[in-house]
Amino acid sequence: MLTAKGKYGLKALIYLAQIPEPGLALVSDVAAENNIPKKFLDAILLELRNAGFVQSRKGKGGGYRLARSPDEIKVGSVVRVLDGPLAPYPCASHTRYQPCEDCDVKTCQVRHTMLTVRNAIAEVLDSTTLAQMRDADEEVLPIEFKRRTRR
Amino acid sequence: MTSARRSIIIVGGGASGVLLAAHLLHDKAHDIRVTLIEKRRVVGQGIAYSSSQQNHVLNVPAPNMGAYADDPEHFWRWAIERKLISDKQRFVFLPRRHYGAYLADVLADASVGGQLTLIGHTAVDLKQSSAGVEVVLANGASVVGHAAVLAVGHEENPDRSKGIAVRVGSEADTPLDPDAAAMILGSGLSMVDAWLTLSQAKHRGPITIVSRHGLLPLRHKAVDKIELAAADVPFGTALQYFEHWFRETVDEVVGRDGDWRSVVDAIRPFNQRIWQSWPEASKRRFLEHVRPFWNIHRHRLPPDLHQQMVEAVESGQVTLVAGKLVDLKRGDGVVEATIRARGAGATRTLEVARVYDCGGVTVDVNRSSNPLIQALLASGQARPDPLHIGLDVTTACQVIGTDGADSDRLFAVGPLTRGTFWEIEAIPDIRVQVAAVARSLAAPVEQSSVANQAPF
Repeated sequence: MLTAKGKYGLKALIYLAQIPEPGLALVSDVAAENNIPKKFLDAILLELRNAGFVQSRKGKGGGYRLARSPDEIKVGSVVRVLDGPLAPYPCASHTRYQPCEDCDVKTCQVRHTMLTVRNAIAEVLDSTTLAQMRDADEEVLPIEFKRRTRR
Repeated sequence: MTSARRSIIIVGGGASGVLLAAHLLHDKAHDIRVTLIEKRRVVGQGIAYSSSQQNHVLNVPAPNMGAYADDPEHFWRWAIERKLISDKQRFVFLPRRHYGAYLADVLADASVGGQLTLIGHTAVDLKQSSAGVEVVLANGASVVGHAAVLAVGHEENPDRSKGIAVRVGSEADTPLDPDAAAMILGSGLSMVDAWLTLSQAKHRGPITIVSRHGLLPLRHKAVDKIELAAADVPFGTALQYFEHWFRETVDEVVGRDGDWRSVVDAIRPFNQRIWQSWPEASKRRFLEHVRPFWNIHRHRLPPDLHQQMVEAVESGQVTLVAGKLVDLKRGDGVVEATIRARGAGATRTLEVARVYDCGGVTVDVNRSSNPLIQALLASGQARPDPLHIGLDVTTACQVIGTDGADSDRLFAVGPLTRGTFWEIEAIPDIRVQVAAVARSLAAPVEQSSVANQAPF
């Protein structure tokens, strides 16, 4: 299910995709620049490293960098690693399926629709690369959204 | 718009070539001419389906062996019509020779109307121009068309055989003394074919099977289907991460009284996408370390054959050796096969009457024994994929040349495209691939397009 963890992870990766090669970024910088709690970010980056998206170097001059080119990394792959199977609600998943206490799975119309939503999420996130997400500046956002973010 | 009839040349009349021809000709709305070049002069009788043995069976249940992507049960109904099985039988593995006959029928049906030409020669060269393609045959004649598709199948002469090891059922596979010792290289489904051929001939001599891990294919079983969606599969992750996810999912299913086979089957629709999502390092690691284990789970044996195989090992007639072939030498009326067991420093040499090569369908394409593939590589019209297990092709099956440009006139299907698709050896995968290629070849073309001009 989509959570803040996935969002933080994507922000961190976008940050790493912006530093020129072969530079490394300090976790504290990534955390401060993106308003991510540092401890949480440590855990997130560790998971991203295990999944092969980032590399780390310890010690002086150490830090994190992308392990693959940002146009090879699909946003959907990152979200699945951090948030588990793509799903709007926990019940709308097969592998990490968690039944809701308050409804009957077989007759729940909400779940049926949410499975379709899930597939749509997968389609969008799997056809978007990290590079595309990084380069999607305000120009390409819908006008409504732009106005709100500008305040 | 010109309505020039499109003309497609298919090189190779084995299963993948026939399936493509059938998809191209099936829809009579398309005005397409197909020329099929097959050196054996019989179609549908490639390496896989030419076996005449009753116990060489398909390893996919009949209801999933149909030739058409939109009709998987086509073969199953064909078999019922011919009274080979009843419509009550679904978990059934039919002899492969029936499949060869089925493919011939499929092609005959599709070619009603005279849109198909068969040419019984070997293709040795190919030229592309802005107008089309010209395929040169061994006798010097050539065939022209708008586009050509390579459907040449598996490598027929793995070079480790050194001309000494033979393929089962080939001309070199002459009758063997039933008490003689034999060796089989490889322990996958082709090994089972070789072993069955020997046991059919009442062979009593010892049989040594040598493969990297010495693992036998596991047993087929009718299991419940489980659902898996693209949203569940961790595409694009490092191999170790993926393996961990896979094991976890299997544990979960088994924990609910399920079966590992359900998971292996459920991810099948995503196997090509998983492969394509991996970085090259993961692909290499998979080929080197994981493939043997994946293969025995993925390419399973019908239950009765599995039982026979296990009994042959238990009886001592068959010995499984995990190890490598070091050398083959012709001795005095025997073959000296030198092997090194896994983890052992020393080699040992066995004297056997015959060595069967039943492994390594994945060989370096640079060493292909196919003259057309060699010509295409030499002229730079094709190049090996990064892993050298096939030709480099786009996901739309267009062949990529040494200059990195993909051709809009030269395509490849089947095992030759495994660098891009990985699992592209079984009918259920090939029929989907050829359906897509057929759609793009049959699509109405803009007038300006090169493919719509008359060739040459």
